[in-house]
Amino acid sequence: MADAAGSVAEPVGLELAEQFSSKDQQREAATLGMWAWLLTELLLFAGLFLCALVLRILYPASVTLATTHLKFWIGATNTAVLICSSFTMSGAIVTSRLGFRRLMLGCMLATAGLGSIFLLLKGFEYYQDYNEHMMPFLNMPYLLEKDTSSRLFVDVYYVTTGLHGLHLITGVSILLWLTWQASQPRFLEFHQNRIEVYGLYWHFIDLIWIIVFPVLYVLNR
Amino acid sequence: MTGNERRLLLRRMRTPAITFVVLLLLLCSNVVLGATLPFRGAYIVEAVITACMVLTVLLVSMEIVHEPPLIRLFSAVGFFWVTIMFGMTLVDYLSR
Amino acid sequence: MSPSDAVLRDPGTPRITIDRPADYLHAEHTLRSWFFTTDHKRIALLYLASITGFFVLGAVAAGLIRLSLLVPNGQIFTNDTYNKLFTMHGVIMIWFFLIPSIPATFGNFLIPLMIGAKDLAFPKLNLLSWYIFMGGSLFAVVVLIVGGVDTGWTFYAPFSTTYSNTYVIPALLGVIVVGFSSILTGLNFVVTIHKMRCPGMTWFRMPIFVWTHYAVSLIFLLGTPVITMALILLVMERAFHIGVFDPRLGGDPVLFEHLFWFYSHPAVYIMVLPGMGVITELVAAFSQKRVFGYKFVAYASIGLASITFLVWGHHMFVNGQSQLASTVFSFLSFAVAVPSAVKVYNWTATIHKGAIRLDTPMLYAMGYIGLFVLGGLTGLFLATLAVDAHLHDTYFVVAHFHYIMVGGTMLAFLGGLHYWWPKFTGRMYPEAWGRVGAFLIFIGFNVTFFPQFILGYLGMPRRYHEYPPEFQLLNVLSSAGSTILAVGYLFPMVYLIWSLWFGKRAPANPWQAKGLEWTTTSPPPPHNFLRTPVVDYEPYDYAIKAREVG
Repeated sequence: MADAAGSVAEPVGLELAEQFSSKDQQREAATLGMWAWLLTELLLFAGLFLCALVLRILYPASVTLATTHLKFWIGATNTAVLICSSFTMSGAIVTSRLGFRRLMLGCMLATAGLGSIFLLLKGFEYYQDYNEHMMPFLNMPYLLEKDTSSRLFVDVYYVTTGLHGLHLITGVSILLWLTWQASQPRFLEFHQNRIEVYGLYWHFIDLIWIIVFPVLYVLNR
Repeated sequence: MTGNERRLLLRRMRTPAITFVVLLLLLCSNVVLGATLPFRGAYIVEAVITACMVLTVLLVSMEIVHEPPLIRLFSAVGFFWVTIMFGMTLVDYLSR
Repeated sequence: MSPSDAVLRDPGTPRITIDRPADYLHAEHTLRSWFFTTDHKRIALLYLASITGFFVLGAVAAGLIRLSLLVPNGQIFTNDTYNKLFTMHGVIMIWFFLIPSIPATFGNFLIPLMIGAKDLAFPKLNLLSWYIFMGGSLFAVVVLIVGGVDTGWTFYAPFSTTYSNTYVIPALLGVIVVGFSSILTGLNFVVTIHKMRCPGMTWFRMPIFVWTHYAVSLIFLLGTPVITMALILLVMERAFHIGVFDPRLGGDPVLFEHLFWFYSHPAVYIMVLPGMGVITELVAAFSQKRVFGYKFVAYASIGLASITFLVWGHHMFVNGQSQLASTVFSFLSFAVAVPSAVKVYNWTATIHKGAIRLDTPMLYAMGYIGLFVLGGLTGLFLATLAVDAHLHDTYFVVAHFHYIMVGGTMLAFLGGLHYWWPKFTGRMYPEAWGRVGAFLIFIGFNVTFFPQFILGYLGMPRRYHEYPPEFQLLNVLSSAGSTILAVGYLFPMVYLIWSLWFGKRAPANPWQAKGLEWTTTSPPPPHNFLRTPVVDYEPYDYAIKAREVG
């Protein structure tokens, strides 16, 4: 609501839920709950990182061969895209704390947009992989057939990036739904901490990719 | 937006902006190292750079430095547990 | 007189029934109020009903297994059917009965009560947990019964990925979904215990039951995602031949086992720890004595939840992992026995010179202590490398884990169910029938499973549907025991339901026990307490203390 001086700040707060006895308790519980969830997500991806590491130990040459045929530059661009999206998400959090609703919505949409760009680039990458016969799990000719163990690392690449992609699709969907919620009047007055808690999740998706990119595309070259 | 609000916003956005630049710079270093492979142990440097990026996101973007000890403990425990999983499995694979 | 006696006689509970607000059971009656509830107490009962149903299915599978093993030539069922039966028994009993049993029923119901909270931190998430559990488990059970899976609950590659011709992928998907229900329950408990304690309820004033459930929740959070990944990779392997577990493509089946057992060993502690929490409560209440070494027991719970993640390789001693790894895992498996032993000694010291009452819950608790010790000691035999080389994959292992899971966890579950039945339902169960049931279960259990130690030692392999004829006597004895056990289980199933309509109405604290759950009505009101409790006394502050007696 703009007043005569042109302020864009709206009231910021939290609506107390029935089971809690104070708003601080509610905020802290929500933050702790999200961190507990992120703990499980880390352990989930860790299994895949372990597979990659074991393959590196068992078949170092095959893993290097597989890595050099992955789309390094698309991966690097995607990492930059996610880092940008982390910046816009931080912007959404900052503006939500200040009560600048429209700016916040802009930041959230930008974040969703950047996440979608990542997905588009990833889809393009998969399309290129398909064209270059780098999909050994399909019953098709495989580019690196002479090195039979190389397909293991390539398959791990697909499972890892596929799972990350699923998380990103889910993340963008939830973000768009949250943006719609946040566009309703008085959202920031009652539910500001949802932006903070969601922001943690988005940063974590970025964090996982920051680990995935070197593990799959860089370290084994 | 009032002048005060603009100043407030810019002040609050300083940390995310610096973080953003730092992460991009670290990424560029990794990309350059990975593309050019200047020396044998390049992967060690790349791993260290990756660790720095992870810590930056955790400590600054996710604001762990401002959180109470309990949250810091939870975030540390996750990585520690991953270390357990890796370490004990590697005891098998490295000694075969 | 103890400080908490004043609270336990709290006049906050109105005497006149007409003025009393409706309790959580009677506040609303519609189906909608049950299936869309966010009240942790109702959700606990939803879980109780579902896991009982799954228990019956798993028990039927067990009965058929014991039927088949009456004859050595395996002619009662085909080989394939037998394999499907033990897979069904394992999957249902472990994932759909034992793992949720105490945490999702008693934990859900009692944790908010024991810490003086109105509900869990995330009540809607709690309901979602139950729906996820039901969706995944019903789907998996249908697959197991109608289609059948023959890989065993351990789904080892490459049999599960390459050679099995059964419905492996759907079963795996069901189990993967159920895992998320555990994760969400664990998350809810952790946040609740950290953030929702009432004024004065410090960590070291909480009941041990809450400590063990906190430890279990840590295992839920840290372990379950890893098996989720292991099973996802198994699905990918079977559907797309990604190769990581397939030796023909250069993969390693042992890698699956590392990922699988990283969770599944802590999973057995998921099954054990809550039972230990229950037993601590029972032992204190029925000796009317404070828990001996409370802090040691609390730390031992966290210790167990931590060390349990370091020992998973003891399931893989003979499967191809390196000698060094086996040695390390064996040593650590001895270490993990220490916190369990600490608890057993503390229970015994708590009972010592207490005012012991041998009501049904205490009978179950005493049975638990003895059988858990036997099961735990035999675990040490199996942790010894040279001995395990002979006993691995024999009935010795089967007997070992049934002593812990049935002799341990199941007895704790039944003991807790009887102890807190008045609080859940407002009714007392018939004590005489309770004791008969407990004895039948104890006797039936031992007759079923003790012969299996001997059979394993003599070399009878597990998961085989035929065996050398000289083992028949012991097998027949074991099967006979299982009928006694089945009759024993029927007792509580019948009289507990009977008590819902005809049992004596229960007072707020029928056992004169300590603990916040006994300060509110039986059954509790929808928000647990009429006034938020304030705690300024120590836990278990019974009048008798160890030092005062004798």
